[in-house]
Amino acid sequence: MIAGVATSDYPHLPNMSEHAVHGQAADRALADAGLTFADIDGFATTGFFPMYATGVAEYLGLHPIYFDETNSGGSSFEVLVEHAAYAVESGAVDVVLVTYGSVQLSQMGRRLGTGGGGGGFAPGPAIYDALWGNTLVGNYAMATRRHMYEFGTTPEQLAAVAVTMRRHAATNPQAQERELITVDDVVSSRLVADPLHKLDCCVISDGGGACVVTTEERAADLPGTPVYVLGAAHATTHHLNLSAMPNLTVTPAAQCGPVAFARAGITHADVDVAQLYDSFTITVVLTVEDLGFCAKGEGGAFVEDGGLEVGGRLPTNTDGGGLSACHPGMRGMFLIVEAVRQLRDEGGATQVPDARIAVAHGTGGMLSTGATLVLGLDAP
Amino acid sequence: MTARWFPDEMPMPAANAHTVGWWEAAADHRLVVQRCTQCAHTRHPPGPVCPRCRSTASDWLELPGTGRVYTYTIVRQAFIPSLQDRLPYVVIAVELDGADGVRIVSNLVDAEPGDVAVDMAVEVAWEDMGPELAVPRFRVAPVASGRKERP
Repeated sequence: MIAGVATSDYPHLPNMSEHAVHGQAADRALADAGLTFADIDGFATTGFFPMYATGVAEYLGLHPIYFDETNSGGSSFEVLVEHAAYAVESGAVDVVLVTYGSVQLSQMGRRLGTGGGGGGFAPGPAIYDALWGNTLVGNYAMATRRHMYEFGTTPEQLAAVAVTMRRHAATNPQAQERELITVDDVVSSRLVADPLHKLDCCVISDGGGACVVTTEERAADLPGTPVYVLGAAHATTHHLNLSAMPNLTVTPAAQCGPVAFARAGITHADVDVAQLYDSFTITVVLTVEDLGFCAKGEGGAFVEDGGLEVGGRLPTNTDGGGLSACHPGMRGMFLIVEAVRQLRDEGGATQVPDARIAVAHGTGGMLSTGATLVLGLDAP
Repeated sequence: MTARWFPDEMPMPAANAHTVGWWEAAADHRLVVQRCTQCAHTRHPPGPVCPRCRSTASDWLELPGTGRVYTYTIVRQAFIPSLQDRLPYVVIAVELDGADGVRIVSNLVDAEPGDVAVDMAVEVAWEDMGPELAVPRFRVAPVASGRKERP
């Protein structure tokens, strides 16, 4: 079960180190759970270099009997929570703290002229993209263009995702961008990699979050409302090269979504609220299709006309998502925190009435990894 | 020998035993794809093991150098800083003829960015980067007489 959740301050943290962001989120999540660091015997996080979790554990003063650092990009934190859920169920550990922290926005300003990919060595298969000027944004743009070609998806349909995310962010006091936008604002924003406009792309932020995973028995003793991990699954289609992507319009969600739903024993109609990774507008369109909320190719129609708004077909990203609230690099933890808050009726202005089942789905890499968590208030 | 499209500061390949064949063929202006000699599956990028049958046996299948644009993007922001003054440039995924579905990432050159379209026929245009390195980019393929290109 997830017994506590919290976000750190966000989106701009010029006076905090990355570890400090982890620490702030951890303090808050533990307080939310009614626990202290002394109760923690498991730890998980991930970052961008080896032995990252060990470094954060040291900073937090933890000596866990369980640790995990699985990195699958944007889907990492759903995977880490899934692993923690299995670990506490098995009896190998009692209470796992999962944290995330990043100050990528503030660090950009401090590293003038040393942005990645400007030259030098591109490791391994990255050269098959880098030598031709292709980057992560280029890959998402090419996937978008193929989706438009095969299914007639329009820029306006993609823009609808951004409009909805902004509408949800407008009532989130921490959100990075809160000013309401229209479809026209999105399609008139400058193209970064055609067909993706600036407003089709996530913001760049500082920020972090944390959650506490424990057994049902342990959670019963705690003051708050714990949430069940009813089912989970993760998948990968390829690594980073577009050449290795089996189908440019299908993400790993097509594999892990149905498995997670089956493990949770739920149908699509049971899902009250969704937190879906929104690195780009296309990411959400592909995800609603691949999770099975609509048929392949119909994602554009599904998201337009308020389809993802609270009160719409599938209320999604009630905090404003990566497109408007924050995106510190890997925002999977924010999906989990927001899903739990919705189930606990802490969603504020964007609370989905009577939310009892939530889905959090992270997408990582070049649409190359996916991880789905089905969370619920009621015992399975 | 064709014009340089990207500056010298672009990252250079570090080939290993399994990939060097692709780069050696490219240096020779031959567009090849790695083919499993056990099950005939083609793969790109090159690697040590066939993803279909797990055989480590492979050869290099020489391709005609033509194909169709499977998808594209027109890059208008310099995510790679050294390419700031090359904007806008076109990145394409080309479905290569004769390669059983293999798509490689490359660029469309010698064309206006607005000309690129999915399904457009293209042919390889080699760029010599140095004495031992050439890189395949693609230009619009000439239309055969009597055949109308799709817009």
